[in-house]
Amino acid sequence: MFVINCPYCGEREQSEFKAGGEAHLVRPKQPTELSDDEWAEYLFMRKNIKGIQFERWVHTHGCRKWFNMVRDTSNDKIKAIYKMGEKPPTK
Amino acid sequence: MLNYTNTITEKKSYSGLQMTEIKPIMKLIVRGKKREFLSAVGKSLNLLLPTGANTSSTSEKITALWLSPDEWIIYSNQISKSDNNDYETENLLNNNISKINLGAITDVTDQFVLINLKGDKIFDLFETGSPFNFNEFRNKKGSVAQTILAKIDVIIHNLNQNEVNLFVRRSFSQHLFSWMNDSASRL
Repeated sequence: MFVINCPYCGEREQSEFKAGGEAHLVRPKQPTELSDDEWAEYLFMRKNIKGIQFERWVHTHGCRKWFNMVRDTSNDKIKAIYKMGEKPPTK
Repeated sequence: MLNYTNTITEKKSYSGLQMTEIKPIMKLIVRGKKREFLSAVGKSLNLLLPTGANTSSTSEKITALWLSPDEWIIYSNQISKSDNNDYETENLLNNNISKINLGAITDVTDQFVLINLKGDKIFDLFETGSPFNFNEFRNKKGSVAQTILAKIDVIIHNLNQNEVNLFVRRSFSQHLFSWMNDSASRL
């Protein structure tokens, strides 16, 4: 359990949120030209890093807004939180 | 509000805590993003929608609560008619907002149940079933929180010291009210 600072509502407990998986996946521009393997790679394959990971989260039981989070998956330390559409922090 | 069987039928009273459903109360969900939307709502209702997170604004007749950057709930301060679901405020907003595609107005009068809580033990009760930190909230008049109470989504509006309005979806209201009674009885 940890506290997440929702960019809209402020600090809330993790149980109010849901995780939405890896962030910044780009949909291929021409899906019809991809092989099945390449399409599956985009659709299903996730990095699942142990360490710093870029993720999407949603404040389900609050403002119901999506946002991005940089989280260390090994110790749940949150490094950065930024809104959808904003550029991810470089450091 | 139309006439049907209600889930909460009685007032409950404990030492330092009284709970009762207030009905019928008009409730509207208002959604929109544009600047023109905000000013159109402000002009129609003579009330500016609160733009600060977790805040509310109130006029003589209605109160608006901030839910999210583009979503508000508006409810009437006084009880309304019980024989139909036709509200002046809703018609006004429909004409000035929905019809010209500035935003969306949804009547949620029958979707939400408004439970009014009074007494100095309100937050002791909430703390038994909510992950929300009420320390700042309880001292700030007019503050709003959407959170979980006994695993149920609720909207809490701090009216005054020792008075709170709580909105819960109708299908959860009976269960929540019985949970609150159970919890209040052992505070």
